[in-house]
Amino acid sequence: MIGVCVKWVRTSAPSGGLSAADEAAIEIGLRHGKAHGMTVIAVTAGGPACEEAVRVALACGATTAVRVNAPDDADSATVAAALAPVLANTVAVWCGDYSIDRGTGSVPALLAAGLDRQQALGLVGVDLRDPLRVTRRLDGGRREMLRITGPAVLSVEGSVARLRRATLRAALAAQTADVVAYDATPLASSATPFIEVRPYRPRARVLRGPVGVTPLDRLRALTDVSGAPQAGETVEGSAAEAAKRILETLRDWGYLS
Amino acid sequence: MAEPDFDVVIVGAGPAGSCAAIEAARGGLRTLLLERGPFPGSKNMYGGVIYPRILDDLIPQWWNDVPIQRWVTRRSTMILTETQALSVDFRNDAWAAPPYNGATAYRPDFDRWLADHAVAAGATLLCNTTVTGLLRGPSRKSRHAIAGVRTDRPDGDVSATMVIACDGVNSFVAKQAGLYGTPNSKNFTLGVKETLALPKDVIDERFAVRDREGVDIEIIGGTGAINGGGFLYTNLDTIAVGVVLKLTKLASQKTRPEDVIAAMKRHSAIAPLVEGGELKEYSAHLIPEAGLSMMPEMTGNGLLVAGDAAALCLAAGIWLEGVNFAIASGMYAGRTAVEAIAAGDVTQRGLGGYARRLSDTFVLRDHRKLRRAPELVLSDRVQHLYPSMMTGIAERMFRVDNPSAKPGLRRIVREERERAGVKLRHLVRDGHDAFRSFG
Amino acid sequence: MLAVVVVRDGVLPAGGAETISECEGRAMFIGSGTAAAGLEVRHIASEVTIVEVGDFQPAAWTEAVASRLAEEDILVLPASPDGRDLAPRLAARLQRPLYAMCMKVSSTRVDMVRGSGTELHSFQPPRAFVATLQPGVRGVDQIAGRTTTLVYVVEAERRDDATMEALLPADAATIDLSEASRIVAGGAGLDGQGRMVQLAALGTALGASVGATRVVTDRGWAPHERQIGTTGVVVAPQLYIAFGISGAVQHTSGLGQPDHIISINVDPHCPMMQLADLAVVGDANEVLDELLRQVGAANG
Ligand SMILES: Cc1cc2nc3c(=O)[nH]c(=O)nc-3n(C[C@H](O)[C@H](O)[C@H](O)COP(=O)(O)OP(=O)(O)OC[C@H]3O[C@@H](n4cnc5c(N)ncnc54)[C@H](O)[C@@H]3O)c2cc1C
Ligand SMILES: Cc1cc2nc3c(=O)[nH]c(=O)nc-3n(C[C@H](O)[C@H](O)[C@H](O)COP(=O)(O)OP(=O)(O)OC[C@H]3O[C@@H](n4cnc5c(N)ncnc54)[C@H](O)[C@@H]3O)c2cc1C
Ligand SMILES: Nc1ncnc2c1ncn2[C@@H]1O[C@H](COP(=O)(O)O)[C@@H](O)[C@H]1O
Repeated sequence: MIGVCVKWVRTSAPSGGLSAADEAAIEIGLRHGKAHGMTVIAVTAGGPACEEAVRVALACGATTAVRVNAPDDADSATVAAALAPVLANTVAVWCGDYSIDRGTGSVPALLAAGLDRQQALGLVGVDLRDPLRVTRRLDGGRREMLRITGPAVLSVEGSVARLRRATLRAALAAQTADVVAYDATPLASSATPFIEVRPYRPRARVLRGPVGVTPLDRLRALTDVSGAPQAGETVEGSAAEAAKRILETLRDWGYLS
Repeated sequence: MAEPDFDVVIVGAGPAGSCAAIEAARGGLRTLLLERGPFPGSKNMYGGVIYPRILDDLIPQWWNDVPIQRWVTRRSTMILTETQALSVDFRNDAWAAPPYNGATAYRPDFDRWLADHAVAAGATLLCNTTVTGLLRGPSRKSRHAIAGVRTDRPDGDVSATMVIACDGVNSFVAKQAGLYGTPNSKNFTLGVKETLALPKDVIDERFAVRDREGVDIEIIGGTGAINGGGFLYTNLDTIAVGVVLKLTKLASQKTRPEDVIAAMKRHSAIAPLVEGGELKEYSAHLIPEAGLSMMPEMTGNGLLVAGDAAALCLAAGIWLEGVNFAIASGMYAGRTAVEAIAAGDVTQRGLGGYARRLSDTFVLRDHRKLRRAPELVLSDRVQHLYPSMMTGIAERMFRVDNPSAKPGLRRIVREERERAGVKLRHLVRDGHDAFRSFG
Repeated sequence: MLAVVVVRDGVLPAGGAETISECEGRAMFIGSGTAAAGLEVRHIASEVTIVEVGDFQPAAWTEAVASRLAEEDILVLPASPDGRDLAPRLAARLQRPLYAMCMKVSSTRVDMVRGSGTELHSFQPPRAFVATLQPGVRGVDQIAGRTTTLVYVVEAERRDDATMEALLPADAATIDLSEASRIVAGGAGLDGQGRMVQLAALGTALGASVGATRVVTDRGWAPHERQIGTTGVVVAPQLYIAFGISGAVQHTSGLGQPDHIISINVDPHCPMMQLADLAVVGDANEVLDELLRQVGAANG
């Protein structure tokens, strides 16, 4: 059995939707199931409104749909704990890399830990032939190719696949199909004391100080107008001047010869 | 011939579509309600003032759970010139209690609520599904009859005994069925609206209302060189300010609608009301305005047209009512469908009951009554001359310039009329028209 | 506080150095080439424990170092791909709460961005917890004095982890935004789809790929895979030039740590202008026109 985790994200007032990543997860999950002749179970954790999420999966071809009853604002640990039992018998669980409201990408990782599975998260490429091979994004533009050798939790970026459009008949059927509802076994709430909310401001960044042996050198370095601009220089002027200045700076930085 | 997938397919889950669906489903029809947007109301204007009384026999006690913002208990009409404002302000406490009169509501909430009632009645609602064509009946007899719709989904044809077009202004379906002439921009006004966020207590104070009480202000003469009308009304913690503008003038004047709103918001009578409001939404939408003169054929073989799709929106300048007309016409379309399908005749003749219902009720009565109103209210005289005349009169009446004694009202009126350049015979004719329309 | 930093072939992850600074210089390097990486952070770290355990194996490593890390109350990992992978495993194993993608971490409070990037929420954490720190939010503190290096030997007895078959370096061939070393990006400040075409032209002239904000991709001016940010692509360019971009956190969080940022914006106070090395106050559209003209002139 293949598992797919989808989250219903409330968007404009009376409605919500799935992230591009979750849609990609559904599509890959369905292909995976087809490739290996396995059933696909779509699961979401949240209130009744979240049934919509798994109905999308049903309309597109998922075999079963499950909603684990949980508060809509449950934290990642709670969500992962709620999802895990439903996915116990799956060989692969597909998730999105981030959920777009609070996106930290930790649900899939916690799920992998909880189910004690292999994990491959933040995938940009998937090869569904046996054995499963996936490409994972690392930083600095590097990537790693992983071979999955056992039951795993995998999360994909939205660009990996576009979700198929449900046929009219399937879309209609999905409306009335029943969604199995479980109650999550409540775990010790890890709610942490809340201090305050402030409007977001970028945090002050530490920048490398001026180099130079003597104080005078450092002073020069600071006040030196030739060469690259100091961090955070602001310039105004006509578009022509601005463009000229930008190109000069790019030359100074060595991006243009 | 195989049993069709549904008895009736309704295109568009706005007020018209949902109410048609409620009636059809209650009448035992297998009803499919198709909506282009991700949910009912998603494609609609953020809000409006709606008059739900028409729901009384469709959803008894509707006021218990209708998702409204405020009940309109103050309705005022404001006449503006550059520097003056003359208001007629009416407050009615009775409007704050069942059965109420008008209410401000967010359309996504309201439309969703109506659609939920349709689903509760047994209709099937399918969103994210756009109707892209009409299916014609195969058999020779019903060659021209509409026998279903084509949607944008994979194998997305749905067969049905008949179709009800509730797909809003510029109805694609009605056009496909050939019920419309080519649309004429003279027949449309452009509605533009800003939704501004303000704290509830600030709104209560500014507009002198409490709790769920709300205000609806219609504005004449506030749209500068472009003929039109303005409106301003209160939601719970937002206010909506907008204008309805004559398309033709808008084009010829080369003005941007948002500038017209901006100018109106700067007016000394409006500015203090909207001050500090944070823009939450800006939206624009066509309104079928020419009423009767542009209404299409509303029945075809296997087809009924309701709501804006049938140009049943009453947009006579200071009037801007469409939802209630949509609800009523949708409801009647639904009922007619039930009868016709029971009788086994969905030809234009078999659906004749619809036209009868419309013309016997306020739907067409109001439109007939107000036939001349749009034209009149949007006329240059009403837009520009009369406001200046009336504010002038008011100014003279209230001005105290002793030592000279107060002039008589008759004299003031004559002088101000002449100053504003209003011809007496025009005044008489317009007055007569107005009386015929509104009186 | 201890920074737990996953090292691959001696390379620090994005935000690695910052995380060390957030933890006042105390770090554990785990992975391959940890000793070499230890040298890189001479001026940043006061105490580095190196754990040489080869290829990335979140499950195996967690078991291997759990007992050692249990002694540390606060574990901070960079919210780099590997950090985001390992942190939840550690949190689960040590049964501690996880605070993911923090803006700031201390023993008394953790700051996280919420409300679709508009609000900063502060929580009071328990004594022991695990957190990941957003790369690029705080910069690096230089420290005087030398680094003590401790070696912690474990045999990560192979538990069932995915097997790494290859580590692909960033190659310009696959022109993927995430791998571009130079990016010119457009935001809502641009006045039409045509501007994105112009941007592409400028990109070719500067050898840069084109990125966009969500507002732009939502408008359909650019495909989703061009969207930089939390719900788009995470990039790591050396040079980033922002045309009419406000610098909302969902955007900048996907930006990595460019060596050089140029921002053209009418509003000198918006976050992107704050981040910029060269902040040009002006109409991005006009400046774009000019740049193309002048670059064209330069070329021929
Ligand atoms: C600026 C403005 C202000 C207004 N203010 C008011 C007011 O204050 N009070 C009032 O009573 N009225 C007001 N109206 C008028 C009112 O909005 C309309 O008269 C009313 O919405 C008509 O309802 P309807 O169901 O006929 O059409 P709509 O509400 O337009 O619904 C049509 C539905 O059909 C769907 N649809 C369209 N094409 C297709 C397709 N091909 N396939 C599937 N679905 C499709 C659309 O997505 C939409 O949901 C206002 C209008 C405007 C523009
Ligand atoms: C859950 C969630 C996830 C999100 N994910 C992403 C994401 O992955 N990527 C992303 O980019 N966004 C994302 N966003 C959206 C993000 O919050 C911002 O809305 C978006 O990044 C803003 O894009 P922008 O800077 O182009 O537009 P704005 O914020 O509107 O900024 C436009 C800027 O252009 C300037 N400007 C205007 N006119 C001109 C001119 N003529 N010349 C120069 N400058 C001008 C303005 O001063 C302003 O600074 C997300 C939002 C949410 C809620
Ligand atoms: N409430 C939920 N129900 C089901 N799946 C979820 C839920 N929350 C998160 N997920 C899955 O975990 C992925 C990452 O979410 P997050 O960790 O919240 O960023 C999502 O793309 C979903 O696949």
